[in-house]
Amino acid sequence: MKKYAVIYRSVLMENLQYTVNIVMSFISYFIFIFVFIHLWNYMYDSPGETIAGYTKTQMIWYVIITEMIWFAARTATVTRQVTSDIRGGNIAYLINKPYHYTFYILSRYTGEWNIRLPIFAGLAVIAGTIMVGGLPDFRAVTLLASLPCIILGITIHGVFKLCISLMSFWIEDSNPFQWLYDKLILVVGTIFPIEIFPASLQPLFKLTPIYTVCYGPSKLIVDFSPEKWVEIIVAQLIYLAAGCGFMLFIYSKGVKKLYVNGG
Amino acid sequence: MVIMTKVIEAENLSKTFRVKRKEKGMRGSIQAIFHPRTEEIRAVDNVSFDVEEGEILAFIGPNGAGKSTTIKMLTGILYPDGGGIKVLGIDPSKGRRQLAYKIGTVFGQKEQLWTHLTPYDNFRFFGAIYDIPDGEAEARIRELSETFELGEFINTPVRNLSLGQRIRCEIVASLIHRPQILFLDEPTIGLDPVVKENIRSLIKKMNRELHTTIFLTSHDIGDIEKLCKRIIIVNSGQVVLDDSMEHLKYHYLNKKIVELKLQEEALLPSAEGITVLKKKGGRVKMEVDTTVIKINDALRQIDAEHVEDINISNIPLENIIMEIYNTKADRS
Repeated sequence: MKKYAVIYRSVLMENLQYTVNIVMSFISYFIFIFVFIHLWNYMYDSPGETIAGYTKTQMIWYVIITEMIWFAARTATVTRQVTSDIRGGNIAYLINKPYHYTFYILSRYTGEWNIRLPIFAGLAVIAGTIMVGGLPDFRAVTLLASLPCIILGITIHGVFKLCISLMSFWIEDSNPFQWLYDKLILVVGTIFPIEIFPASLQPLFKLTPIYTVCYGPSKLIVDFSPEKWVEIIVAQLIYLAAGCGFMLFIYSKGVKKLYVNGG
Repeated sequence: MVIMTKVIEAENLSKTFRVKRKEKGMRGSIQAIFHPRTEEIRAVDNVSFDVEEGEILAFIGPNGAGKSTTIKMLTGILYPDGGGIKVLGIDPSKGRRQLAYKIGTVFGQKEQLWTHLTPYDNFRFFGAIYDIPDGEAEARIRELSETFELGEFINTPVRNLSLGQRIRCEIVASLIHRPQILFLDEPTIGLDPVVKENIRSLIKKMNRELHTTIFLTSHDIGDIEKLCKRIIIVNSGQVVLDDSMEHLKYHYLNKKIVELKLQEEALLPSAEGITVLKKKGGRVKMEVDTTVIKINDALRQIDAEHVEDINISNIPLENIIMEIYNTKADRS
């Protein structure tokens, strides 16, 4: 375990040199949020109105938080990096070390989002408070309880993205699958909460990673309940265990098929 | 009597790759969608050899001969299709992680160091990866940085180092866990002659002082001549020659190529052991057989007053390999 902590620490040291770049990437996040604030302002007729059980302020903060998670977890390490490692043969120089390649990648990913998340969270809270005001009935304990869910959500997201990238052992390009997964998570659960969609589809969404990645943690922050917390954290733990099991399985099968260009 | 321990045993090692094939042009591209064609390439074909503890072995061959594939099977990166391997008594495909603690690898064309970190941080990183206690890692870094003379740049980010400095750091990173075998895949590629020489003497020193077995692949004949006592030549996935360096030198490296730029009126050297290969205007290329005539005697045959330029080189490794390969093919 110590070696993965060292990988994590090295990524932190490396990425601390790029904090300015991360702050700059907040511009695209801000434009995104700005558009959605205006969209929801237009959709809500009166301040007291609710859509799918969300007030306007809750709905906007929901998007602010899901997008914050989305942008914080947006790194090439679990996607393009893994695909190019496998297709380009660079994986050969990473798997001959005494660590497991998948956990090496996840340690790097964690190191990266651990820098991005606090920066995005700080900037998102400032932008959100200025543009829509604070969340009504928000308590610090809600944030404390939701924090493990945010961490688990981003980790599950990384595991699933890594699983898709590991398909590169068999297929030329895993990017179309990444694109499908991204759009699914983005439309269902990130931009719009699950409750917006038809009631018949909602149980189906709860069986997908959508429920655990962005929707769960954001829902807890804007509308916390202990029952919901238990439900989400249990779903996340099940998803994490299943995702890791699947990841290790496809890696163990894929690495035997490894073809390294140039020998 | 000294009993030598075999640290690498490869027996009938084979590896086949399946490669996509496509006819040329647009028609071929469309055909490939409906009727994809693949072809099997036998990268390594029944290769057998042993390596003894403390040896410096050159494992060479032309591009595509199967050397890197063999190294990757020996280090557990690729799984062989047939045959067996034991490296330090471990089957690499079954105990890759266990083996990783006992071997080191340097691939001259690939970086294993983290470029944004300093060599020191990198060494501490590798120390932790190989489960070396902090105090021991610190002592090891001190010792290796003295041996490899890294003092001046140990705290400079790797991205700011020259290629020669980086390769030295790559080797140190591979030695941090005291590997019993070091696999060097073209460690001097792209380096200037002075740095090459420096790296070679460090490899020799490492072998002498740390008793590390060195498994080297290189296209640079200087690396092989100056470092190795034994040479294995592979071509088309098969072992073409497994012999001592001394024997190879006597039979194949006894010829030098001398290229001259002469003034038009200069006389061509003529003596037994000197063969003019090419002459175009004042440019002459000749081969000197050093078993017949010493190189300095051959140079005395040249009309020195009319020489504008001179270059002496070894016969290219590829030519030697082809010669060995053709000789073997003729015999069979």
